[in-house]
Amino acid sequence: MINLVNIHRTFDGEKALDGLTLFVPRGTLMGIIGPGGCGKSTLCKVACGLIRPDIGAVVVDGVDLVRADRKKLLDVQRNCGVQFQNDALFEHMTVLANVEYPLRRLTDLGLGEVRARAMERVAMVGLSGFEDRYPNSLSGGQRRRVALARACVTDPLILICDDPTAGLDPVTSRRILDMIAGIRYQTGNTVIVVSSDVPGLLSVCERTALMWSGRIIEEGIPADFMRSERDEVKRFLDDARLPFGGNG
Amino acid sequence: MSLTRPIRRVGSVFIDASYEIGGAARLLVRIFRRLVPPDLDIPELRRCLLRMGYRSLSIMIATAFVVGIILVIQAFVFVDRYGLRSQLGWGAGFTTIRELGPVLLALMFSGRVGAYTAAELGTMEVTEQVDGLRCLAIDPISYLVVPRFVAMVISLVALTIIGNTVALLSASVMGDIMMDVDQHTFWSNLFAMLTPWDYATSIIKAALFGAIIAVTSCHYGLTTTGGAPGVGRSVNNAVVSSAVAIFVVDYLSTFVMG
Repeated sequence: MINLVNIHRTFDGEKALDGLTLFVPRGTLMGIIGPGGCGKSTLCKVACGLIRPDIGAVVVDGVDLVRADRKKLLDVQRNCGVQFQNDALFEHMTVLANVEYPLRRLTDLGLGEVRARAMERVAMVGLSGFEDRYPNSLSGGQRRRVALARACVTDPLILICDDPTAGLDPVTSRRILDMIAGIRYQTGNTVIVVSSDVPGLLSVCERTALMWSGRIIEEGIPADFMRSERDEVKRFLDDARLPFGGNG
Repeated sequence: MSLTRPIRRVGSVFIDASYEIGGAARLLVRIFRRLVPPDLDIPELRRCLLRMGYRSLSIMIATAFVVGIILVIQAFVFVDRYGLRSQLGWGAGFTTIRELGPVLLALMFSGRVGAYTAAELGTMEVTEQVDGLRCLAIDPISYLVVPRFVAMVISLVALTIIGNTVALLSASVMGDIMMDVDQHTFWSNLFAMLTPWDYATSIIKAALFGAIIAVTSCHYGLTTTGGAPGVGRSVNNAVVSSAVAIFVVDYLSTFVMG
């Protein structure tokens, strides 16, 4: 369960989050959409304790990350897998080493088990045969898939994906969103996905929130969301080329 | 308005400098907190020692070799005019060990290793790899900064000792060729006149310069913003700030250590 209450965050005088409030129930696949620069990436980093809000409370599984000491914060982060917008792959490591790394650092598994689990996740994202390649020899879509495999290899209770479909073609984008949905249904864990592929996201997520100027202005199940009467929602869905009033 | 502009500019420069010095000092405190008791990644330390120390050896030896030769060429006029051939060993040794060796090698080290470190950490910062480490409950200071700090201090001390030796060897050979100062005269004069404190001064300075380069390059690397141009700015700032700090600390340490 993630509960963000009245979050404010400013960078160099610019408001990134402006009174954001969002509740993500345990085991929900929550999709976050919104125009560029509205604070979606900041929301992802606040939710996993990487950025401390100026004002507000961030409660993850009962722990307030703003007031938690370093040990408690690390405990929460251990149970939190994050796929970053820039993939954040370690360039000096192979694909397999990247995926193995969280298991080596965060679990007590033996080398054989670490290897087997990492191979399984690499296969799950469709990259069997790429284990010994380095990230700089992969395409954008392949890098995203490696980042997804790394983020979910420890079966984190919370998986946060920050725009995993950015810059990808529609087919690859849809494939990645399907993989994320598959992980959610296999594990039953909480997943937050930010994506610019609005139709794709609305088709896989259980709840959707629209961010606008640093706050959530609409939140609900995709079907209700599509029928919203708010001007901003209509305008955003129209810009995203979604037929307003459709079924997603 | 035009009268206040220079004052505002000076004030702005002062505030920016204070911000950077404060940030670097804060980083230094965080490094020391992790050094006592030691909390650092040993495999990363080994990689850093190899990359920063061993792989810098050839360029440092080449620099030191040329420094020794230049020293003798510059000294030639005065040694010849005043008939100080027997004092060449002391002159070359004192200048190299106490001043030129540590400073020139530190500047070279800053250009090679400091710039690389600022670029490496800056790239990791802008591509969110540092956030990735935090998410894996890995402290970036223990994993990235402390091994680089320790490796740079150890490497620069070792390279300065080696560099001083090479510079003196080249100076002794050049002295023999240009001024007919034989090897025995050169080295016996050098060992007779230099005290253990002179050697210690060189090592202390090298350690201080290594720490300065490490803290400066890591600070600018980890505070990089603005993508690839930001990485370029960080590298530039790291090298310039390191050079300025090396000269300031050299002045202060020379003043204090005599």
